[in-house]
Amino acid sequence: MEEQIMQKLKILAESAKYDVSCSSSGASRHNNGRMGNAHAAGICHSWGADGRCISLLKVLFTNKCEYDCEYCVNRRSNDFPRAAFEPDELARLTIEFYRRNYIEGLFLSSAVEISPDHTAEKILECLELLRYKYGFVGYIHAKIIPGVSPEILHKIGLVADRLSVNIELPSSKSLSQLAPQKKPKQIFAPMRQITNTLIEHNSLVGPGTMFKGQKLNTSEHYLGKRPVGFGEDASWFDKGQSESTRFSGSSLPEMWAPEEEYLPAPKRGAFAAAGQTTQMIIGAGGESDKSILTTSENLYHAFKMKRVYYSAYIPTVASPKLPDIHTPVPLAREHRIYQADWLLRFYGFTVSELFQDGSTDLDPDLDPKVTWAIRNLDYFPVEINKASYEQLMRVPGIGDRSAKRIIRQRRYSAVRFDDLKKIGVVVKRAKYFILCCGRYYGDRKFEPELIRHSMLQMENGLQMSMFGADGSLQLGTAEGSSATLTDRPATRALPKKTEKSTTTTQPKHPKKSTTAAHRKEAAV
Amino acid sequence: MRDYIYDGTFDGFLNCVYHHYYTEHANGIFTKDRYQANLLCGYTEVETDVEKADRVYRAIEEKISDYDLRCVYRAFLSSIPNKEMIILKYIVYGFCKGRQVSSLHADSIVNDFQAILKKVSAEAERMLQFVRFSVMEGNILYAEVEPEHDVLELIHTHFCDRFRNEPFIIRDVGRDKAMIAYQRHWYISAFDDGMVPVLSGEEEEYRRLWKTFFDNIAIKERKNLRCQRQFMPQRYWKHLTEMTQLPDSD
Ligand code: SF4
Repeated sequence: MEEQIMQKLKILAESAKYDVSCSSSGASRHNNGRMGNAHAAGICHSWGADGRCISLLKVLFTNKCEYDCEYCVNRRSNDFPRAAFEPDELARLTIEFYRRNYIEGLFLSSAVEISPDHTAEKILECLELLRYKYGFVGYIHAKIIPGVSPEILHKIGLVADRLSVNIELPSSKSLSQLAPQKKPKQIFAPMRQITNTLIEHNSLVGPGTMFKGQKLNTSEHYLGKRPVGFGEDASWFDKGQSESTRFSGSSLPEMWAPEEEYLPAPKRGAFAAAGQTTQMIIGAGGESDKSILTTSENLYHAFKMKRVYYSAYIPTVASPKLPDIHTPVPLAREHRIYQADWLLRFYGFTVSELFQDGSTDLDPDLDPKVTWAIRNLDYFPVEINKASYEQLMRVPGIGDRSAKRIIRQRRYSAVRFDDLKKIGVVVKRAKYFILCCGRYYGDRKFEPELIRHSMLQMENGLQMSMFGADGSLQLGTAEGSSATLTDRPATRALPKKTEKSTTTTQPKHPKKSTTAAHRKEAAV
Repeated sequence: MRDYIYDGTFDGFLNCVYHHYYTEHANGIFTKDRYQANLLCGYTEVETDVEKADRVYRAIEEKISDYDLRCVYRAFLSSIPNKEMIILKYIVYGFCKGRQVSSLHADSIVNDFQAILKKVSAEAERMLQFVRFSVMEGNILYAEVEPEHDVLELIHTHFCDRFRNEPFIIRDVGRDKAMIAYQRHWYISAFDDGMVPVLSGEEEEYRRLWKTFFDNIAIKERKNLRCQRQFMPQRYWKHLTEMTQLPDSD
């Protein structure tokens, strides 16, 4: 008995490990059942040998798959040990782990056994047992398999805190090449259904601070049938909202009409209170950083997703359609994309601002916030004692927490340069971009090339000092992105040396320096 | 100026604050075991008078804020050697500045105080992450912890709510005490080895299952032990099921 569960757990954890999200955040709930509660910030309970946080029991329900996605270890044509849980078996295991305080809850994903609906029904059975038979009040994140029927999806949403449909690939082209059985429609339809249901329940929140102060739970944000999602689709927000997405009697999504009759009066928080997320693989298809981030931006604007997770592609199977099996895992790239994603969700940046000079990839050597600042020196220096919150947030070295502290403190007395460190500002970065009581403290002149040079040295110094004996290393979160316990790219492993261009002050993208030079002239 | 020696309790400390104002300014505040006689100024052993403590307690609440009162208490739970003087300075400063004192982050008095506070809160948070219960006979949950700061009473809300239907014990091994709770009631009591309940029959099995999961969820291509250690400091490992060697099943 024990041996059998041990075996299943081993196989199904192994198969689930490439899923990135392990966050248990976004739901806040007291114990109104038998056991458990949920913490808004989420709680990490452990960290694996790869430095990734373990917050949830992350497993596949089954890894017996009908599909043949090129990049996946569980693809039908791969020779791999197979297993499947029984619904009650997994529910009990979750409870037993939970009461020992090993985990915050369950993250249940699955391969497609027999059909999407067949698998989803099993998942639903397991989750309902957990909630109703065992009275579990902890966190549940359920993955929705593309192609699942709206009825089952809805029922899963009623027992789960968070739902996610993995987009996996950033464009329809790579999707059709690498995951031929998954159609864009099957991915976006459930995403849309989740967003619309959240609106009905008055509980759509949106990513980070992107829609702060805006009313999202209104008919305007209700999604019609137009497929939106990939970056290549007509950009959703640039053009404002298109006709078809507006709420009107005739454009009400058809698939929802029958549902509403048996729906009880929507209760806030009853359906996927922690919202929806998705995941994209970095480096399996040929997309640029820009197209990846544009797709994310679209997902944030259209579906108001809480988060898009990124996972650096790890070659596990050889395929002519995929990068060579010896390709290094693009961890550094993933790290920069996470940083840029933070800028979208919390710092008020747009993708077009990040790629303003016409480049299509992020500068591998610099934090994207620094890159932006260097390209936009005319925006700086900003006076610490006068700048608005938004202006402060654009300064490299200042994050949400320190910006708020500055604003709070200056109500009582002017913030002096020496105070900044105590406030939590990364002074060695910020000093190039600020004035404090009218004085500039950068140790060089306010010139783009010089600032870029200093920043590069700093970044390299930082990375060098973090190299571990094993050659792998770790960098914290995107600077200043103080976030909750788990809801952040807590464990971005860093750039292997080989992947990085070595210390160089030569700009990677020649265009950039010309832009910078222009600015310099303009500024003088 | 004089040194004050107190009994190590919060009330005792508040009495020192009282004497700082009404008797003589404090040069240092110590518990008896940490005090080394100082030739430059005399010392007084402060008697813990509940009424005086109460007066200071209320003065902090009214003249500064009840938020700061809570912070003072939290900071007092730390094990930082000179915490008493750091807290005293903050209280004195708070009496001048009023409720805005906690916003003056740049001031070194405030900064030192908030630094301790941060340590205590961080440790309390870590307890929510790193407490590992064992299921004992009679379905009692039992955990051993060894926090650096005395944070046991800061974590009751979380666990009492989460496990409101399970009797549980969280034992602070270093301080020989434990929080004992059931159905949202809790108390802290002395606790020693003789009081540990008996392990239930299934316990070893679930520990092994958890370790199996833990070992298989890591991606070997992304191995990063340094990062693991940063988030999960080694001093906690002793009580983490997944970081200890488990006996084989038989
Ligand atoms: S559907 Fe595709 S990605 Fe999912 S388990 Fe099957 S092969 Fe893997």
